[in-house]
Amino acid sequence: MKNKRALAKALAAASALSVSAVSQAGSLTVATPQDPGSWDPIDTFLVNWASLATNVFDGLTYRGPDLELVPGLATRWEELDDGTRLRFELREGVTFHNGEPFDAEAVKFTFERLLGEEGAKGPQRSNYTAIESVEVIDDHTVDFHLSEPDPVLLTKLAGYGAMIVPPGYIQEHGDEHFNSNPVGTGPFKIVDYRPREDVRLEAFAEHWGGAPKLDSVTYRFISEPSTAVAELQSGRVDIVIPPTIPIGMIDTINNHDGIRVVSVPSPTVEAIRFNTQSGITADEKVRQAMIMAVDRQAIIDSILAGEGKVIASFQSAQSFGHDPELEPYPHDPERARQLLDEAGVEPGANVQIDVRGNDATFGEVAQVVAAYLQGVGINASIQPYETNVLLNDIIPAGRTGEMFQQKWGGWTFDYDNTAYLMYHTGERWNPYDSDEELDRMLNAQRGITDRAEREAMLQEIARYTQERALEMPLYSLNALYGVSDRVQGFEPAPDNRLRLTDVSVSE
Amino acid sequence: MAKFLFYRLLQAVFVVLAVTLIVSFAIRLTGDPAVMLAQGAGSITEADLERIREALGLNQPFIAQYLDFLRGLLVGDLGRSFMGGTQVSDLVGRALPATLALAFASLFVSIAVSIPLGIKAAVSRGRWPDQLIRVLSLIGLSFPNFWLAIMLVLLFSITFNLLPPSGMEGWSSFVMPAATMGIILTATNVRLVRTTMLDTLRSQYVMVARAKGLSNTVVLYKHALRNCSIPLITYFGLQFGGLLGGIVVVERVFNWPGLGTLAFEAVAARDYPVLQGVITVLSLLIITINLLVDIAYGLVDPRVRKD
Repeated sequence: MKNKRALAKALAAASALSVSAVSQAGSLTVATPQDPGSWDPIDTFLVNWASLATNVFDGLTYRGPDLELVPGLATRWEELDDGTRLRFELREGVTFHNGEPFDAEAVKFTFERLLGEEGAKGPQRSNYTAIESVEVIDDHTVDFHLSEPDPVLLTKLAGYGAMIVPPGYIQEHGDEHFNSNPVGTGPFKIVDYRPREDVRLEAFAEHWGGAPKLDSVTYRFISEPSTAVAELQSGRVDIVIPPTIPIGMIDTINNHDGIRVVSVPSPTVEAIRFNTQSGITADEKVRQAMIMAVDRQAIIDSILAGEGKVIASFQSAQSFGHDPELEPYPHDPERARQLLDEAGVEPGANVQIDVRGNDATFGEVAQVVAAYLQGVGINASIQPYETNVLLNDIIPAGRTGEMFQQKWGGWTFDYDNTAYLMYHTGERWNPYDSDEELDRMLNAQRGITDRAEREAMLQEIARYTQERALEMPLYSLNALYGVSDRVQGFEPAPDNRLRLTDVSVSE
Repeated sequence: MAKFLFYRLLQAVFVVLAVTLIVSFAIRLTGDPAVMLAQGAGSITEADLERIREALGLNQPFIAQYLDFLRGLLVGDLGRSFMGGTQVSDLVGRALPATLALAFASLFVSIAVSIPLGIKAAVSRGRWPDQLIRVLSLIGLSFPNFWLAIMLVLLFSITFNLLPPSGMEGWSSFVMPAATMGIILTATNVRLVRTTMLDTLRSQYVMVARAKGLSNTVVLYKHALRNCSIPLITYFGLQFGGLLGGIVVVERVFNWPGLGTLAFEAVAARDYPVLQGVITVLSLLIITINLLVDIAYGLVDPRVRKD
């Protein structure tokens, strides 16, 4: 009797073991720093929404880690009427996770919702206001009527607010239910969401792109970097996604067996911008001199552990509008002193650099910049502000010192998204400068539908801002992922929009 | 007793009013949540910000917003999170049990350790067990809790891979957070138990009990400890309130899904309703505990009951 029971126990244990081994083989755990609170695409404003929801939803277009725009739920599209009408042929035989069919009505519903009353409450709508209406031509064809051509629209259709949602499901259950029980057409479906704790996804085998390799994925919300890294070290988390891992923890991870840091150039760029209206920085020569005084490569090597790249204009190398021919200003303190002399700046002139108080890494960068400026005879003082005070009160009101920190990103990788907001007269981020020529170019490129022609115009804008030395461009930053060696087929996404279809795990 | 309860409840109402007023006002000094919401949305215009503020009710004057909050509170509605519109009562409802479980576990660890150690120290006053216990308690007092937490994680999760470094999944998750809180509480409690016990041991009834020939254990644990328990219960009760405040740091290090983590993230995201909700619930909890402590006196000490 006793032996029998022991045998049964052993068998049960063995079978439990084999079961867990099987399910373990296909499951992955991801640590993400923040719960967006709602999974509804029109509510979102966070990259950490996208790092999960990219697996749950599809857009008409798709853009993967290579940043190439390819067909998503639309198989092909064409521009009509000088770019004011876009026709999309939709993929057939696609269903949402709840079995609802995907068709032209779903597309129409999605955009009417985004641009209507529900979308007005959220931050996504303003990206899509070029869309005037969506017309259903037949079950699998739609026309987008635009008020004006939007050269970035096709890219914007690949993410965030443009994710296609199921009309029947939302009408039946309401918007609030949809926030925490989202349904899309993506390769994974959300099966369990515990707010501020975790989300469990399961493979959606009927996905139009083929079933994902993993059976399930769990995203855990862990905001404290050291905790996320401890989880990675103890093998309970397989991927830690940005922006979690601080520069200082790279070695800790790489020195630990079985895990490593994988980095990829991100769209985030940093610059120190100038007050071009008053102070010594009103003089173009002084601004050029200050840029040449600073060794930006040395800053990247010493403070950023090499996880960055010197930039010539205020955009990263993957940005549409980046010009590989455009060289950054050289580090040339000699020439800098000469220029300052020509501008009549006396040694010992003072400038103030305003920085975000909660950004420790940039605080160090600013100190090094100040030291380099000291080297050419300029005394720079650093003024830290509470981040939101700097962003909402100081910069837009034009109350900064001679220089101020500007950090910028954006998932569209289009220079328009930066340049227009930084340089066009009257924009929130441009409190000091007004340049007719620049305004003309910025407006003109928005109307150009030919890609090559528009790219040339954007490059022209970049060159112009460099000549006028409107900012001290510093570097573009890498996005840092912590990854376990058991993860196979992982490709880091520069924009954090991590799609896990081709990822698998080994034991 | 009824009169006493009435006054305590009246007092509670004022405390809640004062606390929520201060918190609601203070968090609004941290800046505009609409800007946080619009971050990463591409081109933010003033019109977008205005639209978001209106949707969140932030365009109304502070007093109107606060009265709105109070109106909701009366019917148990704590409002909705700015982050995605989840009901705050739902978030708090999920987090409260996690925090209470951790607080009780910590208090349990601390009481279970500090009472025997405190008694041992009192009994062997001046000799080496007493000295050792007092030195250990001093060391315990000097630990910053986050440091202790990180050291425990390094040792038990990373080096030995025995315990999960974060989250709440079964009893093994409780070990490190409860130990972190418990060790620091124990350090204070040991000293308290020792002092109280020393006073008691000097009293005449202990001498009588010994004279009757009762065993040492019975004298210490049945007679002396019971008489020590009034100051101890008061102190442990009050400590529970303080514990809830101190738990924020420990919860954050261990990513514990409790009120501390919720509050911390609400501050970072400028999520006014969530922070207001957490603070209100916490202050109600502390008030209730203090009330229970008063009632517990009566149960333990018949002298109080007769009043």
